[in-house]
Parts: sequence; structure tokens; C-alpha cells
Amino acid sequence: MGFNLLGLLEPGALAFFAIVPALILAYLARERPRQATVSSVLAFRALHVMRGQRFGGRPRFPWTFFLELLVLCLAVLAMARPYFLRRGNPVAVVLDNSAAMQALTPAGSSRMAGAIAAVDDALEHTAGAGEVTLYLTAPEPHPVGGAMAGGGAARAAIDRTIAIDAPNDPAATAALLAQLNADGHLGRIIFASYRAVATPVPPRVTPMVIGDPIANYAIGAFALSRETFGAAALHARITLANFSPATQTLRVTVSGDGKPIGSAQAIVAAGAATTVEFPNLPPANIYRAVLDPADGFMLDNVAYATGSAVRAVAVLFISPTPADGQSLGAIPGLSVTTRTPAAYTPRDLANADLAIFEYTAPKELPALNALIVMPPPGDPVFNFAVTGAPRVAIAGWPTTARLTDGVNFRLLNLRAGEYFAEHPWMQPVVTGDGGGLLLIGQRAGHRYVATGFNPFPYLGRGNLPMSILTLNMLGDLAGFGARSTGYHTGEPWIVPAGIKAITLPSGRRVTVAPGMLFSAATAQGVYRLVGAAGVATPRAVNLADLTVSDLQNAPPISIAAAVAEPGTAAASIVRAPLAADLLIVIILLIVAESIVVYRRRRMLVAQ
Amino acid sequence: MLGLPEEFTPEFIARLDQLRIKTRREFAGLGKGTHLSPRRGSSLEFSDFRHYSEGDDFRYIDWGLYGRTDKLYIKLFKEEEDLLTYIFIDASASMGYPERDRKFGVAVATALALAYIALASGDRVMIRVLAGRGHPPPPAFVVGRHRIVDLARSLTAIAPGGEVDLAPALAREMVAIRRAGKVFLISDFLMMPNSATRGLGLFTAANMDVTAVQILGGAELDGQGLAGDVEVVDAESGERVRVSIGQRERDQYRDTLLRLAREIKTFCFRNGLHYTLHTTDRGFHDFFVRAATDLGLVH
Repeated sequence: MGFNLLGLLEPGALAFFAIVPALILAYLARERPRQATVSSVLAFRALHVMRGQRFGGRPRFPWTFFLELLVLCLAVLAMARPYFLRRGNPVAVVLDNSAAMQALTPAGSSRMAGAIAAVDDALEHTAGAGEVTLYLTAPEPHPVGGAMAGGGAARAAIDRTIAIDAPNDPAATAALLAQLNADGHLGRIIFASYRAVATPVPPRVTPMVIGDPIANYAIGAFALSRETFGAAALHARITLANFSPATQTLRVTVSGDGKPIGSAQAIVAAGAATTVEFPNLPPANIYRAVLDPADGFMLDNVAYATGSAVRAVAVLFISPTPADGQSLGAIPGLSVTTRTPAAYTPRDLANADLAIFEYTAPKELPALNALIVMPPPGDPVFNFAVTGAPRVAIAGWPTTARLTDGVNFRLLNLRAGEYFAEHPWMQPVVTGDGGGLLLIGQRAGHRYVATGFNPFPYLGRGNLPMSILTLNMLGDLAGFGARSTGYHTGEPWIVPAGIKAITLPSGRRVTVAPGMLFSAATAQGVYRLVGAAGVATPRAVNLADLTVSDLQNAPPISIAAAVAEPGTAAASIVRAPLAADLLIVIILLIVAESIVVYRRRRMLVAQ
Repeated sequence: MLGLPEEFTPEFIARLDQLRIKTRREFAGLGKGTHLSPRRGSSLEFSDFRHYSEGDDFRYIDWGLYGRTDKLYIKLFKEEEDLLTYIFIDASASMGYPERDRKFGVAVATALALAYIALASGDRVMIRVLAGRGHPPPPAFVVGRHRIVDLARSLTAIAPGGEVDLAPALAREMVAIRRAGKVFLISDFLMMPNSATRGLGLFTAANMDVTAVQILGGAELDGQGLAGDVEVVDAESGERVRVSIGQRERDQYRDTLLRLAREIKTFCFRNGLHYTLHTTDRGFHDFFVRAATDLGLVH
């Protein structure tokens, strides 16, 4: 380490030096006399006026003047935030805190504990380690706090780190490592993970592969479905995987609301997966599947599912022809309330999960997700510009959008409808020859879908493409049960309509707003979505990622972008700010002046 | 001791017992005393003759004169009466500064010493306090040596404060004084000289025998504690004067104070008044013995 160059972060602050001459003039123009009470000023009137006030008088420059001038100059210099450059050895620690780090090693401790011990040891033996910055990889790569001075603070922060239930994104982790490797200021990058780093490893990157591969058995997915409309029993499918070198008999036990309700076993070959089914699970709020035998990674031996995934969704159908809405009652899990446009009230909206406006538009922006079917032109809330057509034809649609997923538009036969002109904040998803036919947009935390055709009445299998499109739209707007694959740890989801708070599996309650992105689902378990009336809807969130469960075959991370970077470790330069040192000097000078002046006054008084 | 100031040691009181107040003129008293009065009386001091009238005491017929003139004359003698002693103390705020000089404390000790001398001689004493904070003694004569304790208790409870313009203040006091007598005025006289001389002139006009006692502080006279750029504030008027004080200015200031004191002294001598200056850095006991004559005291 050595001194190299001084610099200023805020050189513009040096302009304040311009006030120094003004202060000197003010100092000279008005010296601050000490005040003393005397018996009479009679004899003082005859004395000369103060020398500093006399015309042409000798200016007085006591030592305090120069001291205060120095303090002022130092203050201006401190405002300019000076620094000097020195060679340093800052370290970045990238610690993998993903779910796989919970796995136990043959030694009996977790991979996370091993990683923490290894990083602590590496920091302790890094000569000249300056600032340490800690990064975690799950659920997304992110820094923890800022740069920590000294290895002690960094080790304390690292020791507090725990592995979460969510996997990480290997590509994002590789991008982070590449970015850090490209940063010339860093002297060393320590990466501790269960994944190796693909060769060639950049010279400044120190990979630490933690934990030998261990045998693991996992539950991959736990899906519930209602096989028959109106049936109370649910059908469960559970995926089991064997990531051990030998064939293994896996036994899974399902409990509903804490009571055992089913058990099954399967013989699974090494490296293979299979599915066990429970066709008649009695209704329960929360289902829990537990896999035997136990292994070194318990997180994927448990999975949760909820019966509410197929719960009834309250739909408010507002239309001049309310009979169209009655047909929605044929969809299992929907409860429909119909109102005419003149009769619906804010209370009706508050009690619904989503609203459907047919041939009408809301009086104000609804505070819930809504489907607007063939709205009249020029309504004051959405201000749709529509062009009516006796027959509308679909010309384009995306093949991967969630609204159009599984819809065969070629079989969709539309008759009279209306085309939407360009809308200020809603985007067309399905278009026709004359404009948009299905718009989607988001406002004030809620999602809105507008169609230029009428999917109602709901005909079910009688018009399958339209029924799938209708179910896609309703499922997306309702937010419940729209995902067949369930919810995974670390993946954010949109807070459904009417939800005010979410209780995490740990019991902590988080206040949320409908429509917002909820990204705190990093723990496996059951989350309780609490509505306005205090009714809680459980939602199961599982790891359910067999690539994470495959502990033996974790692909290495490739820092390809960083390999081409020249080795800049020797040139790593850090800025050492001087403002704090200047402030200390200023304070010491002021204190010294105060002490000296006080003692002088005491001496004068004592005379 | 009995609430008297610390200066009143037994030795000092014994010295005071040997002193008495001497006046430059005769004043009528209110009772028998030791001072010659302009009234005719029965003292041994001859005053005058007058023709004998029927009923006069034969013992006062001057038989020698009768032998020379063949006429009967009665010898008249002066009366000896007590002396009415007025002591005025300046208790304005200026007497409290500088605090280390204890100017007001010395003024009170001086007043009590003079009062003790008068009371010990059988004279009557009235002490008046100009300005100040506290309850001054009532405007009445006290008689008897023992009353010094009451006076001491009253005066030591007073603190300097307020502003005094000597001439108007003394003019108000003159209204209450019905009879002429001996006047002691104790002050720092730190005021415009004409204000002090007009006040003192009021007493001479009223045929009083006046002694002016000027008390200045030792530190005050030397300008101690004042150096560099100083804004001095008048303790009474609040007037502020900014000065730069060095040794030269300090000498100049001292000369000005002494010149003001000389002006008071000159006025007193020209008008037949006693005057003495005491600076508090000198011993009080020595001052009282040394300045006894200037104070109008005799052994």
C-alpha cells in the first residue's frame, strides 16, 4: 500500500474559498470586543476609540484570527471531499445461499456452514484485505449492505447469512461473477457454492466448492386438480425422483389439515422420476406430502398443496343482459353475482374478486381486476375509441401469452363486434383487421382486460376455443388457481384481488396491495393471503425444482465474459476519503482555541 | 460581631471611642449634649452680658463689672447640646463595581464607624441610603451607642443597585431634614462633577457642616481586568463605550479618574467642606486614623 495521488470528489465546492476574503474584511470591519460592566463609563469616554475602528488604524490580527482562517479553509476543503488514491486489495465475497446449500455433507454439517467457515478462513488469510463486499446469489444475486471495512465486520455479516428455500439463477450468478471480475478495483473474488466454476477460472476468482455430492430423493411437484365438475374430492399427482446411484423404494404420505389421508410407494430407478397419484383425496384446506426415506436434503422431502387453489372465485357480472352471466355458473369454482349497470354498488365491487362489465363501462376506475366486454365508445373512465363491425375477424395473436395459451384462434368464430383504436395505456393482445380485439392494461395496481367481442354466454365444450380464452382471461384476472404448476420459492407473484396482507410460513405478516408483485416468497410452506374481511386463503409455495434436488449433477458456472479480461489485480486502486480526517482536525482546532481563550479570560478576571 | 462589619474589631472600636465629631459651626441640638449650641445655656463657655432684670439669678451677676460701671449685668453662657448627625450613603449600582473592590461594603463600614462615634458621644444619628436594593433604615434619629447594632443590621442587608443623580436625590432628602447639623456624604462620586458639586452645594446652602467621603476601588482605579478590545457598560445608565485598552489607555483612564476626584476635592476646599478619598486597596483602619482630621473628627 502506498500514497499515490490526491483528488477531489466535489471540486466545485472550492468556490467557497471566495468567501474567505469577504470574511476577512468582515473580521477587520467589526472586531468583536469583550463586554465588561464598570461602575461608570465617565473616564472611558475620554479614551481613544478602538484602534480597529479608527480611520487608517492598524488592523489587528491576533492568533485566533489566523486559527479561525485555517479552520475556515479546512472546512471548505472538506466540502470538496478530498481523497487520495492508494493501492488496495478490496475483496468481493459471493456466497451461494440457495436452497441446495441446506443439504448436509457427509461430515454432518450443512453446505452453508461449510461455506461460511471456508470464506471466514480465506478472509483471515488474505494479506492486506481492505474493504469486503458481500453478495448473495438467491433468490437473485444482490449485495448485502455496502462495502465493509475490515475483515471482522465482513466475517460477522457472513456468519449471519442463512440459506433460503429458493434456488438461484446460475446464469445471473455467472453474470455477477463476470461483472465483478471486470471491476479492476477488486483484488480478489471469493465464490463459495456447491457449484464449481468452469475452467478457465479467472485469476482473481477463488472458487470454493462446498459439499461432496450426496444421495437425495425428492418430491418434484404436488399438483391438485378436480377431475369432475362439482365433485368434492381432489386428485393429487406427486412427482418423485431418485438422485442416488441405486434403485430405491420411495414412500410418500399425504396428510390433509394434519390428518393422514393417503399413502403410496413407488420403486424408482437411479436417476429416474415417477409419479404417484391419489385420485380421491378428501377435501382439506392444506395438504402436506412427506417423502421417505429421509436424506441429507430435507427441503425437497416435503411439499405442500392447498385446496383453495380450486376455491370459488366471486365474480360480479354487470350487464344490461344479466342472463349472460348466469352461464358462468357452469364453471366449477366460480360464484357469480349479476347486476344491471344501474343497480351495482361499491359494496358489490368490494365483495367480488373480479368484475365483468358487459356492454357497459364502470363509472369509475374499479379497485379490482376487471373484464370489460364490448364497452360503449367514449366512456369517461377508459375512453375507449371503438368501431363497430357486423363481423370481426382475428388477424394476429401471440402464441406464448398467458391469455392466449391453448386457444385455437383459427377455430374461433366471431360474429358482430367492435375494433379498438389505439389506447393510451392498454396494449392490444389479439388484433383484427380493423384494430385491437383484446386489450390488456394495468392501472393503480389492478389489471384490466377489454374485448371487442362477446365471449358470453359461456358455452363450455359447445365453443371450446372461446371457453379456453374465457377461462384464461378469468384465471389471469382472478389471480387464484391460474397457474397449474403451483408456486415456487423465489418466484414473485401478483397479489390477487382483495388481498390486504400475507402471513408468511414463519408467521410474519406483510401488508400488501392487490396487483403488486410479491417477491418475499423465499421460504417453502403455506402462505396465508388475508382479505379485507379477515378471511385467509392459503397458498402453497414449494421448492419443486428437480434440477436443484439433483445434488450430484450441478453444472458448473461459466464466467466466460471475464476470461478475456486482462489481469488487473495488481492495479487495483481504492479511494481513501480525507473529509472525516479534516473534520477531526477542525474540531480539535476549535476546542484548542476555546480552551486557550477561556483560560485567558480567567486570567484577566483574576487580575 | 453583633452583625457589625468585619472591620469592627475590638481594637478598632476602642479607637473609635477616643474620637468625636468636630463641627466648624455651632448647631442647635434636640437635647443636652457635648457640643456648643448657639442657644444660651449653662455651660462654662461665656457667651455675653445683659442688663440685670428682676428675677435673675444673683449668682450670674458680674460683680467686677458692677464695680467699674455701677450697673448690674448678668453673665450669659452657651448651651451644650447634642449634635444632629446625618450620614448619606450612595448605594447606586456603581458602588457595586468592580465587585472585588467591595466599595459599598467599605462605605457601609465607614458610615457605621462615623455613626458609632456620634452615638458614643451622645449625639443623634440619622442614616439615609440613596438608591440601592433592600430596606433602608427609617428616616429618624437614633440615640445611644447600642443602636449601632440596629443600624448595622439595616445597612448590611442593602445591596447596591439603581441609578442616582446626586443633586435631585439630595434635594429630596433636604425636604425631610428640618434642622441643620453635621452631614457625611459617602459616595464614589463617579458622576459628572457638576452633579456632585450641586448636591454638595445644597448642604452648604442649608448651613450644614459637610464632609464628603469619596470611596474608589483599588482595581477600579488601576483598570484591572480590562485589556484589549472591550465594550464597557455603565452599571447605572447602561451606556456602552468601545475602547481598546493597553497600558497607555489604562494610565490615561486612571489620570481621568483622579482628575475627577480632584475636582470634587477642590470644590470642597473652596466651600469649606471636609473631603477625604479612600481607595479600597488600602487598609480601612489606617485610613480611619490617618484621615480623622479630614473626616472632621478629633481625639
